[in-house]
Amino acid sequence: MVETEIRTGTAGETRPRRDLAWLLQQSTAPALATAAVGAASLAVVIVGTLVRVSLGGWVPLRDEVAALTSSGLRALLVAAIVLGVAASAAGWSTYRRMPTRTSREEAVAGAVLGLQGVILGALILVFSYGNVERIAANYLRWSEVTDQVGAFLNGAKITLLLAIGGEFLGVILGVILAIFLISKRATVRAPARAYVNLFRGTPLLLQIAFIGLALPLGFNVHANVLLFALVAFTLNTGAYSAEVFRAGIQSIERGQMEAARGLGMTYLQAMRYAIIPQAVRRIIPPLMNEFVILIKDTSLIVVLGLTAGQRDLFNVGYQGYGNSFNATFYIFAGLGYLIVTLPLIRLVNWVEKRMRSGLVGVTGL
Amino acid sequence: MTAVPAADVPLGPLIRLEGLHKWFGDNHVLRGIDLEVQRGSVVVVIGPSGSGKSTLLRCMNLLEEPTEGRVFFEGVELTDVRTDLNRVRRRIGIVFQAFNLFPHMTAKQNITIALRKVLKMEREEAERRALDELRRVGLEGKADSYPGRLSGGQQQRVAIARALALRPHLMLFDEVTSALDPELVKEVLDAMRALAEQGMTMVVVTHEMAFAREVGTRLLFMDNGRILEDAPPRELFAAPRDERTKSFLAHVL
Ligand SMILES: Nc1ncnc2c1ncn2[C@@H]1O[C@H](COP(=O)(O)OP(=O)(O)OP(=O)(O)O)[C@@H](O)[C@H]1O
Ligand SMILES: [Mg+2]
Repeated sequence: MVETEIRTGTAGETRPRRDLAWLLQQSTAPALATAAVGAASLAVVIVGTLVRVSLGGWVPLRDEVAALTSSGLRALLVAAIVLGVAASAAGWSTYRRMPTRTSREEAVAGAVLGLQGVILGALILVFSYGNVERIAANYLRWSEVTDQVGAFLNGAKITLLLAIGGEFLGVILGVILAIFLISKRATVRAPARAYVNLFRGTPLLLQIAFIGLALPLGFNVHANVLLFALVAFTLNTGAYSAEVFRAGIQSIERGQMEAARGLGMTYLQAMRYAIIPQAVRRIIPPLMNEFVILIKDTSLIVVLGLTAGQRDLFNVGYQGYGNSFNATFYIFAGLGYLIVTLPLIRLVNWVEKRMRSGLVGVTGL
Repeated sequence: MTAVPAADVPLGPLIRLEGLHKWFGDNHVLRGIDLEVQRGSVVVVIGPSGSGKSTLLRCMNLLEEPTEGRVFFEGVELTDVRTDLNRVRRRIGIVFQAFNLFPHMTAKQNITIALRKVLKMEREEAERRALDELRRVGLEGKADSYPGRLSGGQQQRVAIARALALRPHLMLFDEVTSALDPELVKEVLDAMRALAEQGMTMVVVTHEMAFAREVGTRLLFMDNGRILEDAPPRELFAAPRDERTKSFLAHVL
């Protein structure tokens, strides 16, 4: 965004170049050294630990423990701590005297990174002198978990199917509800409002239990319990996304509707050509946020009493822990969620930024 | 289309307001307005803030629904619920203080959208007319610019072109220069002046007294929901009858 601003600036006035050569020219040797040492400290702690344990082997547990308590790793950590202390001391004591903004930032970065290396290195060092065996046996016992990789993959598939299916169907339901919610007639609004309030006012867990357990029993209908779960997620997402749509549409300035109607457009034409295209930009980021939340909330199907093939990512971990009291199952499941959610969260932030600054001059949508 | 026979077409007034009242909740904003606007006249409305000028203007195309009273346009009663307002509004252009251009469309698209969707014009014809209208307000070079890339004065001229493209019989202007920097006011007023010279019927709410004096055929002074004065501008400026008009003019002139 910033770049397009600058590019459209008056021709002839040259934009200052901020490339690598410029950065180097702005830096001083001590500042660069401080930054490098600080970064090295943190890198040695993280990369060193990972490499050392990988060399020794994450499984079996015996090898993992041996690696974590090895004198080689401890020496590495001590070295990293020394580097970190040096970078911190140098950075904090010199940054005020740095001649340029760039060199000052480098000195501060070195000091901060060094401090992080010291803290993390010290934590791992203390840990390596502690009851490594017990902690590793509880949280880093990978062998049982890796046996279940197939189940985890199937779990991830179910998590995504429930979340994507629930979001897709829920959005369709939400659009319909939103059309009612923005009506100027109270008689049209009332049922949609009641629906939305019901689903926003009760716990999702209760809805899942009711739809997945109580409804099949009371109405004597039987199907895969995941289907009932999907219904629950759809109905719940419908309520939340309806509110997102309503808020997005109502956030468009009144003047837009008036201008469109003033030109003789019908209400529906005004909505379609003037209001909705603008509202979409405001709706997409919160909708994506809802989706991230839904991915995690699918784990609530735990109340449904699942069979092996029905377990989602969390429930595979939950089951694994229940069988073995090995919390590594939870850590593995958690990593599985992060693989999906972290890129999504980044995407939401990016889209949000683009849409906020890019309202003007963006075609399409 | 309406229960009332179109008796006063085409010789009667273009628009006629009868006993108009508007309440916003307990706020009595219009307190009995009777007004006729003849074809080809330029009626300028002045008055203090909150006196109901915008509300009056917006009642003329039923963007605001009068609480009481009737509005006739070309002999058709707009306040009759059976009247198809969408058809009528094509023939009444309105321009707002805040421009209200569609920010996701180029200047040209802002104009063609109504031509195509409301008048059901073909794309080529709509684009041709859009470019013609932009040329009229001196902006043919900005056809593909988005409103965010235009100055306030340019945006307002696009808004005028957008309204004119529908070939309206009446144009309503609501303080269209109030949001503009002083140096941009002239270009918008010039466009309106040219329009008046071509014989367009206009109702103009404004604080631009020089414009009112030169272009207006009638000047209305509104206060507290009533029309207190209705006279040719020169007469009214020279000899206001009502005390409130006098003090208002003393403030703005
Ligand atoms: N949509 C609305 N809802 C409630 N009150 C309104 C609404 N629009 C206008 N009003 C009220 O009606 C009164 C008259 O407003 P109006 O905008 O017609 O005045 P105006 O003469 O155009 O003033 P200005 O010169 O400030 O534009 C004001 O008291 C205003 O608060
Ligand atoms: Mg006003």
